[in-house]
Parts: sequence; structure tokens; C-alpha cells
Amino acid sequence: MKKVRYLGYLFILPAVIAMILVHVIPMGWGILISFRDLTLRNIRNWREAPFTGLKNYITAFNPVTTVGQRFLRSLQNILLYGFVTITVGFLIALGVALLMNKPFVGRNIVRGIILIPYITPDSVAYNFWRFIFQSRIGILNEMLLRIGIIQEPIMWLVGKNTIWAVIIASIWKGWPLTSLMLLAGLQTIPVELYEAARIDGANAWQCFKHITLSYLKPVIKTIMIMNILWNFHAYNQFVVLFGRNPGIHAEVPNTLIMREAFDNYNYGQGSALSVILMLMMLVITVVYQYFFRVRAEE
Amino acid sequence: MSRRTPVQNFFFYLIIIVVILFVLGPYAWMVSSSFKTSVEIQGMRPTWIPQTFTLDNYKNMNTTVPILKYFTNSLIISTGTMLCALVLGTLAAYGISRFKFWGRDLYILVLMATQMLPGILFIIPYFMLFTWIKNTLGIPMTNTFHGMIFTYTSFALPFSILMLRNYLDSVPKDIDEQALIDGCNRFQALYKVIIPLAKPGLAAMGIYAFIMGWNEILFATILTSTKTRTIALGLLQYISQNQARWGEMMAACVFATIPVIVAFTSVQKHIVAGLVAGATKG
Repeated sequence: MKKVRYLGYLFILPAVIAMILVHVIPMGWGILISFRDLTLRNIRNWREAPFTGLKNYITAFNPVTTVGQRFLRSLQNILLYGFVTITVGFLIALGVALLMNKPFVGRNIVRGIILIPYITPDSVAYNFWRFIFQSRIGILNEMLLRIGIIQEPIMWLVGKNTIWAVIIASIWKGWPLTSLMLLAGLQTIPVELYEAARIDGANAWQCFKHITLSYLKPVIKTIMIMNILWNFHAYNQFVVLFGRNPGIHAEVPNTLIMREAFDNYNYGQGSALSVILMLMMLVITVVYQYFFRVRAEE
Repeated sequence: MSRRTPVQNFFFYLIIIVVILFVLGPYAWMVSSSFKTSVEIQGMRPTWIPQTFTLDNYKNMNTTVPILKYFTNSLIISTGTMLCALVLGTLAAYGISRFKFWGRDLYILVLMATQMLPGILFIIPYFMLFTWIKNTLGIPMTNTFHGMIFTYTSFALPFSILMLRNYLDSVPKDIDEQALIDGCNRFQALYKVIIPLAKPGLAAMGIYAFIMGWNEILFATILTSTKTRTIALGLLQYISQNQARWGEMMAACVFATIPVIVAFTSVQKHIVAGLVAGATKG
């Protein structure tokens, strides 16, 4: 039996080494350099970078500095972006999943079609959305003008509307996966439950609330935490739609960190921002788990 | 199931059609624009159907931006990622599926947690690590194919291992034991008996790794330049300060989507099953 144990380690060893090199070492290193004033001058030997303690962390929350102001704004933006994208995306996904759970002609084809946004590469999807959002030559403004909802073309990719443009494109890209997961959850619900409830005189809303939703709860719980965390990672949609500097209205932590590190060469400051971001995600995960556990016990 | 009345039926299909239009509309715009002339794109009111149908965008897409080269780069990087992830992932998945060892559950937990970590957390030190390797060991890492393949392999591994482990768990352990009795060692049992049985799972995992490499943007921005630039970044080059070549860009977008669609449809059942299992079990 001893030999068998050692063999198990042997099998996972190559994958573990690769992940240590790519995930563990850089993560630890990132935390170390976040306490230093690491810039282009001392990038070749990071130990020469002056140790500055919590300075980078304090700067991040100091609205007087450019970085602090931008960072606080980027947190606001990501919260708005995440809230709207997740909520609307979830409602569409749930609605479509409920429809797809019913038998109808062409169900498999429709199922294949709704997967399309999910499998489209990010850079392709957000590039054609960028074209759609063009104010003069884009199809969205043209359609809105034709219908008469707007009188003047909207500037989607500059200024205040940028955050809504990226929200629309992200909803389009994100809901199909949620929908498929919900559909898989729906298909585990025994049909007899609904029949029994009908006989007991439950109406459609009661069936939905007490059977469907309670069965879906674990799936919804996972989907929600995944979506929340993924939204904090959001980068591709912003950089493809708006470029490296999305402007104050669509700045998110990731775009700010990338510019701070690789355009302004403040590697230490950039690392501090990313550590803060990770800590926030950690807190959210813990609170979320705790909240759901308490709710489940009630 | 209860039957629908004709009116209900009408609204039911109406909603389905609206959903399909919402999903396919942007796609239709991409495809139709790729067949438009630049005069039509820049000068006329936008329409869904090209007024003059042209293939020029497809012919010219490689002149302004070396998109074929980027396509080849992506193909090399993604295929390399796929092969490396297959080897490492199969070994690890087999390890956690067949052996009980101290730290196994912890390892599985770490794999799940790793998927949730933001790439931004690694990218700065990772860039420094690559510079350090070059300066001290003399091995170039940034802007090389092996550097990109190594990076993407590690990113693809956590999900690949978990997905394949689910699949291997469904292959009975008696089969391994029979192979061991017949004189195979563990590696031979894996190679000769289990891998042939797990082909669909392996295919799904390989394609997942391929698509991951094809789509990645964040690390490619920092770690690649002209020699190894991937197609995901190359697409952005059609729009510059001076000119916007939307038609060619849309043609290139169609071109960049094809490998993903082909790869995905060939194994979609298994990838979706893997993703869904992640949600329903979690």
C-alpha cells in the first residue's frame, strides 16, 4: 500500500510543479513587491527597490492622488457593472432556461444557437460589438433612430455611456452559460413533484416558488458566486471596446492596474492594487458562504 | 406536461424568436459587414444586407495586418497548450481519481480555488519572473512560443484536471486492477487501457485548453510582441489612430471564429457537461 501512496504523488507532481511556478511563486512575489516602490529603475533587481511599507496601499484609497481617485472610481464602476450585468443576465438566463425546459419543435437547434455567444472568442465578440456601437456607422444607433427611440446618434464608446455599452455587450456574451447551468438544474427536478402539487391545488407561482426555486437553489448559489468573482476579473471586454485607457466612466480595477504597471511602470503600486482586489474577492466569498450557510440553517 | 393553448403557443414561439434574434443579430452584423465595401461601411447608412457584395475584405485582410501570421502563432500556441495540458492533466486526473493520498482533498480544493483567482494578481510578478529567468538562466521567455505554451498550460490545468477526473471516475476501477493483474504497471495501465476508454473526455479537455489559448488576452498583451502575437490581439490592429478598417476586421473576426466553432461543436456535449457538473456539484 505504501507504494501506491507514493505513486499518487508521482502522478500529480508535474501539474503541481507547473502550477507552483505559474500561480504560487508569482502570487507570493506579488505580495512582497506590493510593499516596495518598484519602478522601471529597479525592476532588474527588485530587492534594491525601497521598502515603503503600506504606502502603496494607503495611496490606493487616497482620493487626493491620481491613482487613489481612479481606483475608488474603478471600484464604483465595477460594482455598477457587476450588479447590472449579473442581475439582468441572470433574469434572461432563468427565463430562457424555463422555456427551454418545455418540449417544443426545434428545441435542440435553439439550444445550440444560444450557445453561440458563449463560444465566441472574447476578442471577436467585443470587436463586433465595438463596431455595432459606432455612433455614425454602427447598426445600433441606426435601428434606434429608425424606430424613433432617439433623435440624435448616441456616443456609446466615449463618455458617460461607455459603462452601459460594456454592460450590454457583456450581458449578450454571459447569459448563455448561466442559462445552460440553470437548465441542467431544472432537468433534475422530478416531474411528479409538479403533478402532486397541482393535485394539492397549487397555482403556477406557488409551484415555481416552492419546487423550482428551491430545487435550483444550490445551482443558483454556485452560479452567483462564480459570476460575482468573474466580474471582478473583467478586463477583455473593457480593453477591446475602449482600449487600454477606457476613461473615467468605464475604468475598472484591471484596466487601471495594467496601465499603472505596464504603462507607468509603477509595478509596486500595481501589485498593491491587485492584492487589494484579491482580498476584496476573498471577503466577498467568505461573507457569501457564511450568509448562505446561515440562511440554509434557518 | 400540460398542453399549451394556441395563444400561449404563439407567445411561446414569439419569445423564442426574440431570443434567437438577440443572440444572432450581432453575429449577422459581423458576417454581413465582412462582405461590404469600405465605401458602403463608411459612407452610407448602415443596413443589415450589403448593397454591393464583395470578397475584397477577405482578400485584403492580410495586407494591413499580418493576420495569417497571427493565426499561425495562435495555432502553434493553442495546439502546444492542448498537448501539454493533455499530458499533465491526464496524469494528475488519474492520480486523484485512482489514488487516496494525504492532501488529495486539499489539492482538489486548491484546484477549484485557483480557477477563481484573478490573472491580474500574477501578471506583474510573472512578467518579472520571465525577465529574471532570461537574465540569470539565459533562457528567453517573453515573446517566445514555449513561454506562452507553458503559461497557458498552467492556466488550463485546474479546470482540465477537474473535468477529466469526473470522466475518469466514471470508468470502473476494476479495469485498472485487471490490467495490473495482467502484468501492466500503473503507467502502462493508464496508457494502454484507460486512455483509450477515456477518449471523449480527453478530447473535451484538449479542446477546452485549445480554446483557452486561442481566446486569452490579458497575458498575451504583456508577454507577446510581433513575433508571437496571437490572433486575439491581432484583431485590434485594424483600428488605429489614422484609419478604421472595419470590413477587413469583420472578415478577420469570421476567420478567427472558425477554429473555435469547429473545435467546440466536435466536443460540445462533454465540455458543457463538465461546466454544468461544476455548477451542480459545487
